[in-house]
Amino acid sequence: MPNRLRVAMLFVLILVISGCAGGTMVVLTPNPDGKTGSITVSNQAGAVDIKTPYQAATIKSSTESPNPPTTLNRETVNTIFSDALSIEPKPPVHYILYFEKDLLLTTDSVKLLPEILTSIKERSSTDISVIGHTDTVGSREYNMALSINRANSVRDLLVTKGVDINHIKTTSHGKENPLIKTEDNVNEPRNRRVEVVVR
Amino acid sequence: MSRNQPCMAANPDHVGIVKAMAGDVGILRNSIPLKAQANMRLLKGDQIKTGKNGKVGLIFEDDTVISIGPNSNIVIEDFMFQPNEKKLSFVARIIQGTMSYLSGQIAKLAPSLVRIETPHATVGMRGTHILVKVD
Repeated sequence: MPNRLRVAMLFVLILVISGCAGGTMVVLTPNPDGKTGSITVSNQAGAVDIKTPYQAATIKSSTESPNPPTTLNRETVNTIFSDALSIEPKPPVHYILYFEKDLLLTTDSVKLLPEILTSIKERSSTDISVIGHTDTVGSREYNMALSINRANSVRDLLVTKGVDINHIKTTSHGKENPLIKTEDNVNEPRNRRVEVVVR
Repeated sequence: MSRNQPCMAANPDHVGIVKAMAGDVGILRNSIPLKAQANMRLLKGDQIKTGKNGKVGLIFEDDTVISIGPNSNIVIEDFMFQPNEKKLSFVARIIQGTMSYLSGQIAKLAPSLVRIETPHATVGMRGTHILVKVD
């Protein structure tokens, strides 16, 4: 069973200079995992698509179409955006926990708890989410109740291990944020999970 | 409560946090200027302004990471992350300065509902190019 999840679609850098000689520059860069997303830069006069890393579109005014993308030198990009990039926080880390039945965690999931606590400490995190998820089988009410109860039980477990309850928010995404996309009414145990997000 | 004290109570409406900062960073909230502090919770509508030596990193509830350089001015126009109610939206507006934007779960679930507004153009996500890595 997977127990960690990273999601990032794209990474964009934007520079806006105000005033007469001003304009906007939008640069697409690779995600932390090395892949690159794609964007559209548009105004009332036109649109350009960017899907190659380190390509940039510049726009002088809202009534002139964006200029066709040009490729920028990576060092130049890092220099222009050095301050913003230097303060960039680490992306949040996600842990996925599974249950044997009711509120009993699987042994693999119990083993994740020390890692979760270490992450919280390392990041000095005061913003932790515990999110219950369901698959697409069964009544919405039953699934919501079970997923919230499970999320609350994980929160309570973290609190007994010393995490401040005010730093934890619990919620449920029901079946609307699946790990594995399925049709409606499909039994998918990998979706019946509690996710812990540490920021 | 003093003007410069962020609300530390658990706020169900908070959209993100100030995770890292340096120098002069302010938050304009409902026309009231606040001094930003580490771990301060952010609300929809907040306008983040940095001075000439200010910079700040933000993490949102859906994993979006935004960092802002000096002499910058960014507004969190809209943020909704309630997948269970199908309420998803992320709109940020950069008025001036530099920012980096690393997309999060709202972009994964509803790319057409993510926008970054600039004074001269809008940046939108193209297509449903979804990247997921599961360890």
